Amino acid sequence: MINLRDKGAAIWENQGRFGRIGIALGAMTVAAALPFMGGTILNTPIADYESVLVYPIAMFVLMAIGLNIVIGKSGLLDLGYVAFFAIGAYTMGLLGTRTGLNTWEILPIGIAMAMFSGIILGVPALKLRGDYLAIITLGFGEIVRIVALNLGTLGRSEGIINIPTPPGIFGIEYRFDSHRIYYWTLLMLILLAIWMVRRLSVRRAGRAWESIRQDEDAAELLGVPTFKYKVWAFVLGASVGGAAGVFYASKTLFIAPDNFTLQISILILACVVFGGMGNIWGVILGAVILGYLPDRIRFISDARLLVFGLVLVIMMNLRPDGLLPRKKREKVLPNKEKP
Amino acid sequence: MSTSILSLKSVTMRFGGVTALNDVTFDVKEKEILGLIGPNGAGKTTVFNVITGVYHITSGSIDLQGKSISGMKRYKITKGGIARTFQNIRLWGDMTALENVMTATDTHKRSGLVGGLFGSPVSRREEKRDKKRAQELLDFIGIGEYADRLARNLPYGVQRRLEIARALGTEPKLILLDEPAAGFNPAEKVELAKVIRKIRDAGYTILLIEHDMSLVMKVSDRVVVLDFGQKIADNTPQKVQDDPRVIEAYLGVPEDAS
Amino acid sequence: MIGNFLDQFWSLTFGGLSLGFIYILIALGYTMVYGVLRMINFANSEIFMVGTFATIIVIRDLFKFTQASEPATGLRLWLVLATALIFSMLVSGALSMLVEIVAYRRLRRMNSGVLAPLISAIGVSMVLAESVRILTDSRPVASPRAMEKKFIGQFFDAGIRIDNTIIVTSALILFAVLITFVNRTRMGKAIRAVSMNPNAARLMGINIDGVVSATFLVGGLMTGAAGFFYTLKYENTASNIGFELGIAAFTAAILGGIGNIKGAFYGGLALGLLETYASFFLGTQWKAVTVFVVLVLVLYTRPNGLFGEALTQTRA
Ligand SMILES: Nc1ncnc2c1ncn2[C@@H]1O[C@H](COP(=O)(O)OP(=O)(O)OP(=O)(O)O)[C@@H](O)[C@H]1O
Ligand SMILES: [Mg+2]
Repeated sequence: MINLRDKGAAIWENQGRFGRIGIALGAMTVAAALPFMGGTILNTPIADYESVLVYPIAMFVLMAIGLNIVIGKSGLLDLGYVAFFAIGAYTMGLLGTRTGLNTWEILPIGIAMAMFSGIILGVPALKLRGDYLAIITLGFGEIVRIVALNLGTLGRSEGIINIPTPPGIFGIEYRFDSHRIYYWTLLMLILLAIWMVRRLSVRRAGRAWESIRQDEDAAELLGVPTFKYKVWAFVLGASVGGAAGVFYASKTLFIAPDNFTLQISILILACVVFGGMGNIWGVILGAVILGYLPDRIRFISDARLLVFGLVLVIMMNLRPDGLLPRKKREKVLPNKEKP
Repeated sequence: MSTSILSLKSVTMRFGGVTALNDVTFDVKEKEILGLIGPNGAGKTTVFNVITGVYHITSGSIDLQGKSISGMKRYKITKGGIARTFQNIRLWGDMTALENVMTATDTHKRSGLVGGLFGSPVSRREEKRDKKRAQELLDFIGIGEYADRLARNLPYGVQRRLEIARALGTEPKLILLDEPAAGFNPAEKVELAKVIRKIRDAGYTILLIEHDMSLVMKVSDRVVVLDFGQKIADNTPQKVQDDPRVIEAYLGVPEDAS
Repeated sequence: MIGNFLDQFWSLTFGGLSLGFIYILIALGYTMVYGVLRMINFANSEIFMVGTFATIIVIRDLFKFTQASEPATGLRLWLVLATALIFSMLVSGALSMLVEIVAYRRLRRMNSGVLAPLISAIGVSMVLAESVRILTDSRPVASPRAMEKKFIGQFFDAGIRIDNTIIVTSALILFAVLITFVNRTRMGKAIRAVSMNPNAARLMGINIDGVVSATFLVGGLMTGAAGFFYTLKYENTASNIGFELGIAAFTAAILGGIGNIKGAFYGGLALGLLETYASFFLGTQWKAVTVFVVLVLVLYTRPNGLFGEALTQTRA
């Protein structure tokens, strides 16, 4: 089977420093220019194209990058990822409507809340075997929603309304219908998340996660503090979910428990699996495709979850590595003999 | 005699009804190569598993340089100076040989995740130092040219040796080798014997499980023999070979006395 | 509150017992599969959900009951109940076997580790739930009343309802049959051999694929029966009921020690009662939370359940 990832990696490696900067800048420019392609073939029939770019596409990409740290990098199956998204969103909703804090001030608080709940859930749960982690997180995702549904302070099924938009910065105003501005802000968050993941992947943390994913017992016996790194993966994943949640609430201005169902967790999982667990470019591609297609193709949009379920089954059975698999290639070093 | 680095005292390990180790007592002395032999199922691998904390012993005690290590977390035991290889190879197949060793060298790093994220000077320095160290270890074991190959694509013999390099990466005082020559041809065995001696000469202590008698007898300073979970001999290679109890144990399972 | 509780104690207990037996049967679905594959069958909750719809199909479409029709009596009632039970069991049993083929078999042959089959099963579960949701237009479906729910006796001052009685007795019978099957028949013994040591079982010439299929079938039959009992008791269902019941039944299985058939029995009873009592005090909206708290507490404090397999144990 063709391995696009390796082709891409080969091109990347053959570039000099300037070539690489050029590629990166080019990619960013294309991503940033997407909102201007509205009238083109990319348009979606049911929704406003620019708003689709914000949600689901960019939001899915951000969350998929976060979930990928947990499942792709460390091999931990988190089925309750929506919980961290919800916690970020409700933090924004509560603080935004009840205090004078604005979105930028709430963002770190929301991230901290998500990380904190990641610790509370992860520290006990990560001691258990993988499939028990799956079911505990699955339950946790629902519990957060049920709590939101039944607590008066969280607005019960009505949720929270009148959440403020972010205040303008650098003369840019966030109006609820200025989708582009939101999109570009999300793009910044995405770039930040990519930077974080890439940074971590190449050093100790990346090796620790990789060894845990492949053989946890061997990792621990060779000195990797496996538990600590699993908690880190979980908490970092949560932080990205929390950030997405804060921003989501500040974009839709209205949140309710129905926005945070189990299905969201599964959707994000499908993005990760479809694109290629463990490979950040694959995950992004997966989220873009799965975020976009259901809106583009009318008959799928009703059966979106059905399609995503099928994606999970089919990918796992036929191409478990996803569209763009993780590293499979070996560097070819010109000055070394290969037997 | 020099001081002992590891001592097992009356170690018993039971799995339900099976007694895999029964009142086993022996010491590993500093800078020696101690052979650990016995017929299939004698409990050799179980000895490694209890030393490295995979199983908690039913009774007895295990001390590393006078300090008890039973009940300690596994990675802390490793950090304390014991590393091992596995009878059935357990490399991280999707990592390169160099990365496999580097993961082990991370054991003693001061910088962790946060330092790596923000590129702290310590992290950068340690990364550079350990990369060099890992390459040196691969060269030392004689598989330096495979550094950038994925572990899973390496030839079998290289994988076995990579396991040793990886264990050395944790900077152990004592290294436990579980049948490192399994599946080797005679020439490779000779090569391996040299490597094992070389490791000892570099200052490590070695506890070696091996089925190939001539190899064990050649490299070991001393040999401990297990049979049905019990220690039946603990002596120099020559004396062990002549011990009637050992001969009897092996005659029971003749295909092992190769 | 406490006074009220004592007043209603027995009627709550009867309700809790019948709920407990429903949990037992679903928990058997989890526990059987876990026994042979050492994996949680995430699709079991949807196998249950489909079972509840199978029951409605029999009552509404085969026997033409409507919301306005008279409940059946006498021989006809028993015919309706037996048909619905058997049909639900067969549908769920067959579906369960299909799930194994689609979600697990290929991956098992490839020896793919735990992550892939779990995700694959989640996918199947999603496909089932969503297909039914689309077919039912996202609405709950009420089951016409086939049986009048009269009281057939009195215990202290609580009436004993006929549906609860039917559920408890038939579930007991099914459980006894299952125990006999596992202990006495060839296939049952093979299943046990595989759960104890798959490699040894293979060496002994046991056909692992056959055993796994049979296990899914038996688990599905039990889960389907639970679907019937649930519909009989609550008289409605929806495409999304699998989640709540599934996680509760899974908790029951964990409580008793997953992989352990008798454990599922005690775990199911304990959870059915606990949940019913807790709902009385806290309100039914916290039911799922109660169950989850129990699950978390059990996993964190006694991961082996009341008597069961060590879940955290690893090998090297
Ligand atoms: N986790 C376990 N559970 C149950 N029994 C075990 C376990 N580990 C080892 N045993 C038993 O302990 C005994 C010793 O096994 P061990 O693997 O230590 O033998 P060994 O000497 O290494 O044999 P070999 O030469 O075949 O590698 C065997 O009877 C084995 O079945
Ligand atoms: Mg062994």
